Amino acid sequence: MIGFILRRLLAAIPTLIAVLTLVFVIVRIVPGDPALVILGDQATPEAIAALRTRLGLDAPLWSQYLSFIGNALMGDFGNSMVTNRPIMAEVASVLPHTIDLTVAAMIFGIIVGVPVGIWAALHRNGIIDVGARILSLIGLSFPVFVSGIFLLLAFALHWRIFPVIGSANLEDYGDRLHKLILPAITLGLVMAAYITRVTRSAMLQSLGEDYIRTARAKGVPWRRVVWVHGLRNASIPIVTVVGLYVGILLGNSVLTEIVFNRPGLGKIIVGALNQRDYTMLQGLMVIYCFLIVVVNLVTDLLYGILDPRVKQA
Amino acid sequence: MRGLKAALLGSVMALAAVIGTVPKEAQAQGQTLRVGMAAQDVGRLDPHFAVSTIDRVVVAWMFNGLVRFKPGSIDPSEIEPDLAERWESSADGKTWTFHLRRGVQFHGGFGELTAEDVVFSLRKSGTAASSAFAADFRAFENIEAVDSHTVRITLRENVPSLLGILTNYSGGYIVSRRAVQERGDAFARNPIGTGPFALDRVTPNQSAELVAHAQYFRGAPQLARISYRFIPSDASRDLAYQNRELDVNYGRADQTWLNRTRQIPNTVVDVFEPGELAILNLNTRQPPFNDIRVRRALAHAVNRPELVRFRGQDVTREAQSLVPRGYLGFSNATPLLPFDSNRARALLAEAGHPNGLTIRVIHTQLPEMLTMMQVVQQQLRRSGITLDLQVVEHATWHQQIRQDLSPLVYYSAARFPVADIYLTQFYHGRSRVQTPTAVTNFSHCDQADSQIDAARVSTNLEEQRRLWAEAQKILIENVCGVPLLETLLVFARRDNVDYGYELKGSMSLGPLITEATRIR
Repeated sequence: MIGFILRRLLAAIPTLIAVLTLVFVIVRIVPGDPALVILGDQATPEAIAALRTRLGLDAPLWSQYLSFIGNALMGDFGNSMVTNRPIMAEVASVLPHTIDLTVAAMIFGIIVGVPVGIWAALHRNGIIDVGARILSLIGLSFPVFVSGIFLLLAFALHWRIFPVIGSANLEDYGDRLHKLILPAITLGLVMAAYITRVTRSAMLQSLGEDYIRTARAKGVPWRRVVWVHGLRNASIPIVTVVGLYVGILLGNSVLTEIVFNRPGLGKIIVGALNQRDYTMLQGLMVIYCFLIVVVNLVTDLLYGILDPRVKQA
Repeated sequence: MRGLKAALLGSVMALAAVIGTVPKEAQAQGQTLRVGMAAQDVGRLDPHFAVSTIDRVVVAWMFNGLVRFKPGSIDPSEIEPDLAERWESSADGKTWTFHLRRGVQFHGGFGELTAEDVVFSLRKSGTAASSAFAADFRAFENIEAVDSHTVRITLRENVPSLLGILTNYSGGYIVSRRAVQERGDAFARNPIGTGPFALDRVTPNQSAELVAHAQYFRGAPQLARISYRFIPSDASRDLAYQNRELDVNYGRADQTWLNRTRQIPNTVVDVFEPGELAILNLNTRQPPFNDIRVRRALAHAVNRPELVRFRGQDVTREAQSLVPRGYLGFSNATPLLPFDSNRARALLAEAGHPNGLTIRVIHTQLPEMLTMMQVVQQQLRRSGITLDLQVVEHATWHQQIRQDLSPLVYYSAARFPVADIYLTQFYHGRSRVQTPTAVTNFSHCDQADSQIDAARVSTNLEEQRRLWAEAQKILIENVCGVPLLETLLVFARRDNVDYGYELKGSMSLGPLITEATRIR
């Protein structure tokens, strides 16, 4: 197992370097000058040139690239070009918020999506199934900024259960959890809808298999048939979707962070893009890439646990 | 089946339990003023690099200048002492001596303000490598400390408003020399000033927290803290304000927003100066605008009253010149070309475009600017001018318009309220884009250079006013730009928030929070 994990992590290094190279090139191809953004619209070309020199932007591209890769491999991403704050410190200060949100949204998606999907499969074409399908369709159709605002109107403004500003004190766990609920539901809604559909479909397929008929013929209780034989065999596609979706959640968290005023990686990356903060963008991309690699690794490990045939392969 | 139902019920109950047991947002915040700002984050808090609205607003709470605009005003005639208690100038206006207050303390135990701090700050402001406002200090020949509390400034030539350069605005802020030298680049995130509030901490993408500077020279502030919160989503910020999670809210210069916000109980909406003047700058060196008939046609196609009705009567007003109203030297003696669609079509035909013409224009995707440009686009279409809008991201737009890639540039800006700044940056030959001394002259006009230069060094105010008026006349007659409208600043606040002055204007583009500001 440890060997497998190490092999996967080593295999991720070329991916990380490819991503770093791609990001390095892309941020420099996109028009827009960070020096002009920093100095504002009254800056003269002389002042812009002076700042470009100070930021190292006038050095040859290959020299900038080698310096960036060298520092990145040492774990040093430098300071933000715009705020001059250390990138790792900035990322570290918001990463817990992003992880909170992603994990909570994933949990919400699973605890809502899986049972509803099973329930719908067990009542195929019945009123529960139709209702679940309609609700999941609605869930898939609502963009985060619409569902988020609706939830805020209802739960913050009308019933006053939650605050609008969702930035929490990380050391106060009660406050952290309280301010996480609405954003997690908002972000998790689409995932729940998607998982409902996948679970329903996987369960329908699984419940139609011979081993289910055999188990029922042997007199195994229905509850055990569903949860043990049905769900376990349907879980591979569900885990695949969850694994894929965690990556999407990380990317999609930016809209939720904006609507609920939460700090997070997504918000930083949008700000860095708007301000052409090259160093910050590069650092964030590495972290995103690393998180995706970790999520994929965990998904692969879960496959092995759920289906011994995968481990043997 | 019971297991499944139990799982569902359990999930719902767990959620309910969390909601029920977690404490709600504290209602009482004491004397902390919570300000909501439309931004992702602050940038550099070194005041000499504070160029964005979000940075300008907050540095004004932390720093002082030698002199300041009277709180709530942007009238240069109301400039009053700040760190300098008095000053005098030589007869030729080229030598100025400032006498500093004694006992002014910097934040964080950085000691008493001395002339060395002032000399260091002004030199820093005048150096391109350490300031975004170095160009404002071009006429400064020497800055020296006469003694520990006296500073002398010598100018190469007269400037329209030396006091204006030294106010609590842009390059005029005074920083702690020791803090800058000790902290180096880190000063931008740990700034030290003498203002009523000191920076406590910045949480990236969340807020900047400020604490009262108990040793502030005008007396300890009445507020204990300011929480400056970055909320880029307009909808969320408005909801937070409605939910009483904010005391002051950055507003949209839009009549609908204004009317809706005024309906919120216990709310005051402040609409204040400086007005941001929007102008269609026409590149007079490139076709089709190198033909003055086309420029006049475009000017006749613009319907200013309609633009004001669209944006809102309370937050905008018709532009009257190429300099915003209220600026020293503003003149509306030369009338702008009126809306006349038939005249526009006739001029186009005369210029060889009987079937109208299409112009490819690069424009920003910033919502407010894009919406206004789309209204202008529809107005021009009625007169046969089709704008083919190429919408790009804001930073890209800034770069491309400086490369002369758009023959028409919609630009909206507020500057220090003296005509010289606006005229120099937008219509002086030295400021033409694509030149080594470029600023924002997108029209490439230089016909009024001699009047602008003469006014700048004149020591006679009447003479200056006459020259500035003449410059505006020349530029308007040459249709270097088509002024559209002026948009004012808007902030909402709870009626228990008392700024301690009447807010009619603010050069920091947001309410100035002073030692007298309080929550009643």
